[in-house]
Amino acid sequence: MDFDKETALARAKQAFAQLRVYLDPDLKEQPDDGGFLPNFCNGLTLLNVVVIAQMLAFVITLVTRRISPNMFEDLLLISIFIQWIALSSAAAMCALRNYLNRLPNQRAFVMAYLLLLCVTWLVSEASMWLLWLFGRIPVPHPEWYAYFQIQNLSVAAIVIALALQYLMARQQLRRRTLSEARAKMQALRARLRPHFLFNSMNIIASLTRSAPTKAEAAIEDMADLFRMMLGDDENLVPIKNEIALAKKYLNLEALRLDSRLNVDWDIGTFPRKAVMPILTLQPLLENSIQHGIEPLPAGGNIGVRLREESDNIEIRITNPLPSGSAHKPKTSGGSTLDDIRQRLASHYGDSAKLDVNEGEGRFVVTVTLPMRGGNP
Amino acid sequence: MRVLIVDDEKLARDRLRELLVEIGDHVIVGEGRNGNEAVERTIELNPDVILMDIRMPTMDGLEAAMHIMGMENPPSVIFTTAYDQHALDAFELNAVDYLLKPIRKDRLANALSKAHKLTLQQLQQVNEAQDEPMVRSHISVHMRGNIRLVPVQDIIYFMADSKYVTIRTAADEHLIEDSLVNLEQEFGEKMFLRIHRNALVSTLHIRGIEKTPAGTWQVGLKDLDMKLDVSRRHVSSVRRWAKR
Repeated sequence: MDFDKETALARAKQAFAQLRVYLDPDLKEQPDDGGFLPNFCNGLTLLNVVVIAQMLAFVITLVTRRISPNMFEDLLLISIFIQWIALSSAAAMCALRNYLNRLPNQRAFVMAYLLLLCVTWLVSEASMWLLWLFGRIPVPHPEWYAYFQIQNLSVAAIVIALALQYLMARQQLRRRTLSEARAKMQALRARLRPHFLFNSMNIIASLTRSAPTKAEAAIEDMADLFRMMLGDDENLVPIKNEIALAKKYLNLEALRLDSRLNVDWDIGTFPRKAVMPILTLQPLLENSIQHGIEPLPAGGNIGVRLREESDNIEIRITNPLPSGSAHKPKTSGGSTLDDIRQRLASHYGDSAKLDVNEGEGRFVVTVTLPMRGGNP
Repeated sequence: MRVLIVDDEKLARDRLRELLVEIGDHVIVGEGRNGNEAVERTIELNPDVILMDIRMPTMDGLEAAMHIMGMENPPSVIFTTAYDQHALDAFELNAVDYLLKPIRKDRLANALSKAHKLTLQQLQQVNEAQDEPMVRSHISVHMRGNIRLVPVQDIIYFMADSKYVTIRTAADEHLIEDSLVNLEQEFGEKMFLRIHRNALVSTLHIRGIEKTPAGTWQVGLKDLDMKLDVSRRHVSSVRRWAKR
């Protein structure tokens, strides 16, 4: 028995953790993703730096005159020198990362650039002293010292600019991909509305015992609804399909809310091929149920009217305004309606509109869409 | 154990009922459809444990549990929820029992076998962790070892004396142990207006403000034939409210 308890607890915790990862709206960004400049503390970026430095070493070895008896020794010396600069640069960028990320983008870039030039100068200087220490040159600053520094700094100025640009472009790309994926995930999550999903599943579990046929129908409705929700956002569908989908959704809600939900349909006639964006009706109805029916213990009725009005499709949805309760007035469902407004704008530009009114104890949403697909 | 089932969805209540029958050893003493009914049935039926949905009309599960915790010898409460991320985090943190919908038989049996009493403090911590902490729709007043719920919109004013706060409705007067500062914080300026160091008046019940011959101000009430003094310190804020 104890063992069972423990496994059950472990399972609950596991499910909880999973739910959290999948559904938490403020899923934190990984710290590596932030910032305008690439993260030089990161192994992959470091590898990039080393590869770029080594390619530069090859190029320089190929184009400069010999400084030692054979080419491999040249390559070795030049590689050591350039890698030294490259790794010191990466270390400096890694150490000052927090400071640089706090600056505005332009300034962060300039500061990073100057910092890297400084590193180049310092390493060049240090290498002169090392050569002197090992007796390779008679004085730390021979007559070609100035030429050496100028040459190094010029090459560095060009290479650093290119390398930084390249690494930053990669960083931007990576950030954009991540934020796009995150936005998609959030949109999907908002559409699927986990509260509705899990409540419906609970209801279906209940129905499988008492009324298996109803449970079957509910699962079919849910499958159709979720197929649409998971499908492409951009589709225009025939009006009758959108109405059918809305009815499937309402069937599910009716199971949940029982006699508390009544819907009065009033559908005019439309040209057979008239279309509207998929999932226009369903979120409007969901909003009405959430804010107009669920807060009322006795429920109420939702009015849905679709009409053709001078070459427009007019959708009017009304629900009771819960009043007199001490709860905050959240009847408007601001964000849901804003989302729908945005979707309509992306389909129709300025020619579609969504208006909100309150009157006679009812909340009224009116959506006007240009008729499309109706005319041959 | 004697179990009370509270959920606004009939089929959700049915499911719990069927699962409880299958598990055995438990008696279902009643059902409720919202927080108010949860409190009423608890007084009436004295269950050992309540299975309580969180999102319900008029009074949600969290508030109902808070009122119930104020009773003498309150039952255990196990919350049931489909999805409330912030509530779940807070439940975990404060060791509050909960079940996720769809509810599974083994988890239900397990939860009932180890259900423990909640404290008001646990619930308050859960509430504070919410995005928008719940504002009570009712105030519970103690009457002969039981509690009675007074709808907040029926309250005309709160009046404080040394130790207690008096709640005045059109019909009744009750004493509660609370402070005006807490009440003002919870209900904010939208619902109640501070007119005196010791008085908070419901904006729903104010008829108007008027000046006395002595030059002080008074608040007239809609449902009570009496006037309340506005203290000098609160005159400006009361008049600002009246102008809106």
